[in-house]
Amino acid sequence: MTESKQELLRGTLDMLVLKVVALGPSHGYAIAQRLQQISKEFFQVHQGSLYPALHRLEDKGWLQAKWKESETGRQAKFYELTRKGRKKMESEVVNWERLCGAVGLILRAEEES
Amino acid sequence: MLRWIRRLFQKSRAETELDQELLDHLDRQIAGYVAAGLSPEEARRRAKLEFGGLERVKEEVRDAHWETHLDNLVRDFRYAIRNLRKDRRFTFVAIFALALGIGASTVVFSIFYNLFFNEFSARDASRLVVPVIQNIAATGQTDTSMESLTLHLADLDVIREQNQVFENMAGYITAGGIVLANDGSQMYQFYDARVTSDAFDFYGVPPLLGRGLVPEDGKSGAPPVFVMSYQTWKRVFHEDAKILGRTLTVDGEPRTVVGVMPARFEAFGTQTNIWIPITRSRDTPRADGEFPAEVLARLKPGVTMETASADLEVIVKRLALLHPDDFPKHFRTRVVSAVDFFMTPQKGWDGVSSDLKHLLYNMLAAAAILLLIACSNVANLLLARATVREKEMAVRSALGATRGRLVRQLLAESSVLAAAACAVGCLFAWVGTKFLPAFVPRTGDVASGGHIGGETGLGLNPQVLFFALGLTFLTTLICGLAPSLHVMRADLQPQLAGAGKGANGGFRHGKLRAGLVVAEVAFSIVLLIGTGLMMRSFFVLTRVDLGFNPKNVLLLYFMPPPSHDRTSSTQRFASPQGRAVLLGVVERLKALPGVIHVSIEDALPGYSPGRGLQVAVPGATHSEEAGLIACDENFLATLELRQIQGRWLSENEVRMAQYAGVINQRLAHDLFGDANPIGQQLQVKAFKSITLPPRDSDFQIVGVVGDMKNAGPQRPAMPMIFLPYTVRGGPAILLKTTVDPASLRNAVQEQIWAVNRDEIIGLASPLEDFLQRFAYSTPEFGLLICTPLASIALVLVMIGVFSVMAYTVSLQTRELGIRMALGAQQRSILQMILSQGARLLATGIVLGLFASYGLTRFLASQIWGVSATDPLTFTIVAALVVAVGLAACYMPALRATRVDPLVALRHE
Repeated sequence: MTESKQELLRGTLDMLVLKVVALGPSHGYAIAQRLQQISKEFFQVHQGSLYPALHRLEDKGWLQAKWKESETGRQAKFYELTRKGRKKMESEVVNWERLCGAVGLILRAEEES
Repeated sequence: MLRWIRRLFQKSRAETELDQELLDHLDRQIAGYVAAGLSPEEARRRAKLEFGGLERVKEEVRDAHWETHLDNLVRDFRYAIRNLRKDRRFTFVAIFALALGIGASTVVFSIFYNLFFNEFSARDASRLVVPVIQNIAATGQTDTSMESLTLHLADLDVIREQNQVFENMAGYITAGGIVLANDGSQMYQFYDARVTSDAFDFYGVPPLLGRGLVPEDGKSGAPPVFVMSYQTWKRVFHEDAKILGRTLTVDGEPRTVVGVMPARFEAFGTQTNIWIPITRSRDTPRADGEFPAEVLARLKPGVTMETASADLEVIVKRLALLHPDDFPKHFRTRVVSAVDFFMTPQKGWDGVSSDLKHLLYNMLAAAAILLLIACSNVANLLLARATVREKEMAVRSALGATRGRLVRQLLAESSVLAAAACAVGCLFAWVGTKFLPAFVPRTGDVASGGHIGGETGLGLNPQVLFFALGLTFLTTLICGLAPSLHVMRADLQPQLAGAGKGANGGFRHGKLRAGLVVAEVAFSIVLLIGTGLMMRSFFVLTRVDLGFNPKNVLLLYFMPPPSHDRTSSTQRFASPQGRAVLLGVVERLKALPGVIHVSIEDALPGYSPGRGLQVAVPGATHSEEAGLIACDENFLATLELRQIQGRWLSENEVRMAQYAGVINQRLAHDLFGDANPIGQQLQVKAFKSITLPPRDSDFQIVGVVGDMKNAGPQRPAMPMIFLPYTVRGGPAILLKTTVDPASLRNAVQEQIWAVNRDEIIGLASPLEDFLQRFAYSTPEFGLLICTPLASIALVLVMIGVFSVMAYTVSLQTRELGIRMALGAQQRSILQMILSQGARLLATGIVLGLFASYGLTRFLASQIWGVSATDPLTFTIVAALVVAVGLAACYMPALRATRVDPLVALRHE
């Protein structure tokens, strides 16, 4: 786990979590796993970042938590996206794509010869 | 406390859920590693390793929650309290200043709220209205004053049926006013009101004992009953628990007491002792002789005054067409809110002094100004502390405190101050509201009219306390604002390097502080000038030459006899039997110990005669309007009138009903100019047209007396003529006493009843009470509130100027030391400091004077006899503030001169 990966996570974790939860209600472990899988092992989300983020998003009303019986037969806390959360996520994604596009443009600029 | 909160959250469900959630995660991770082929032990070890400390994760999650902020807040408050406790002198001064401000504002708001919004104890009092009538003169001009619309009961029923706007209505009759009652052994005299039988349901106040009047009491044939007021029950019947069911003969008819109303019930007439139901059925025809009833109505919810007025006007106009004799030729009717009606001076009593409504607004403004002064004072003190604490702030900010955090810290401090001040202030207010109610003016006129203050209970009601809380919040913001700005703006880093070593270290915030002091001085000038003007006005008012001496004079007024006999008291005492009663009473009263003079007359000195009669010199075309007082030979001595020319009426003239008269100076001047009026004839034109005696209308003038006020102290006396009462009756008696006239009331009543058991004394009050009630009580009330406010303001200004000057001096210590080391004289140092203070004062005073010049016109309705920009008041107030301000500067200046140069140079 390098410094640069951590840095990247700090700013984008909320958006990534929202996006992952948007794929379907899931519990904390599953969210961490999916982040890892989808990013092809690029992100390894530490619990110390994930859970505060989940609770913060829940406090803000973007996520909604329910205790449900999981596939293991135990009670687990499932997070799902609220309508407010979906809106938030969509705008975040748009912003992110704009940012990426802009950064890409700059990085791809031809050096003057 | 902190541990308590934490434990509370640890035990909470959220915490167990968090545990469960995290453990679940751990378990899944272990399971995942096992599935990947690790041994269970190894899987557990790796998962735990990866997880880090479970407690740390939990702590981080907790940080994401609001409890943490609460936690910080608690920490801030604890820190603030600790800090404030360290500097007790500052804390005490700040809390005291704010408490005065909050307390004073709360008292004033309590008065304001209780008089304006909580004046009546009635159910839905905000929708109570009084229908009023305004005359329209032939010129088309609407009479500005309003009278309550009085109606025959049958007409009231018509309005009840036809209107669309009133939820319900009640009628009451107080004309006649007083009835005699006895229980066989003792005689009582009561103010009575006859009310429609639905009146108590209408008002909606539950009785203290027994029951109120109910519709059944109004059916003809119902057993006669009555309800009495709390005051009557207490004073007359000494809270007799067995009062219910007792039968008294009231106005010749046996009636049973069925209820006692609570103390806060003064509906349907002023000072009413007993309420009697009107027995009539709906179809009782309209009787011409009956007294018209006054009306109180309650609007339906959502109906506006305009709609109600329009609806009422249509119905009343229709009634006026049917019964033209009972209504003025041209008139307007409308409804006004009960509060407005009772608080507005009634017709005939529109003296400026009873304008309670404006007085209340002014008082509220005064309290707000005081609060602002207190706030700027405390802001100033806090700012001084903030400057001193710059280093602390710098350290805290270097250690990572955000500016927001520092500001929150300062706000926590000011809110602790404000909260403490709120508690102390409410205590002040509680004391204030305990002793103030006795001074609340009761506006209104003698016979009926308003009774503001009657049902008013001042106190710290929830609404008032809520207001105090609001003030506290506001105070926190205002006080915390200045030091917060300071932190926000300040570049704190240099403070760490080397704190304020220079001569002007930290002086850059001097401007804000000076600004606050200037504002404080300016505010106090406004407050002081306002109060000063009211004081001057009151002084002028109470020293108005009334033309007579009201001290130790008791006024008795004989009422028309009980309602079955309709002759007026004037007619009655014109008869030989009536006169015999009157003379008998006078003889007995003269014999009372403590009575010097007894005089028969027919006026309320100071307030009547109101109506004018046309008088003229016989043969002249020009006539004057004059008031008439019918009196006897002792009138001059009793009231200590000034004899200017000639003599007073002689005993013989009065006894023989001779046509001799005395006129006042104004009439003498108007009719005769500089010529000698003595011996001239005077014709009272009105006497010509009436058939009752006197048939002759010419009087010989025997004397001239000084003018005597007849419409309150504020208005010039009208021309007046004094005639023997034997020419035209006189139902009133004046007693000049050597003792407190009020103490003679009972003795006087006994003497009168000894002559005639059926006599009703309408009024038996000291003359000064009337003047007090009509002329002085409202301005006195204003002074009672505003004088303390202004004095407090002055004290606060003194503290403010002192603190800012002391602070400036302490900052300049080094500079002063250098100056003194270089040979500056003590005097020049003193001068330097004083002139710095004087500059602040002068700026504040000039601003304050300008502001006052613009603002005092709002006081115009409260002051009389002085101009709103009275130069004397402005000068005195400015001088006072200069004196107080310089005195406050003097102490720090003196300290400055005692600076030891050696110490000062090393001073940091």
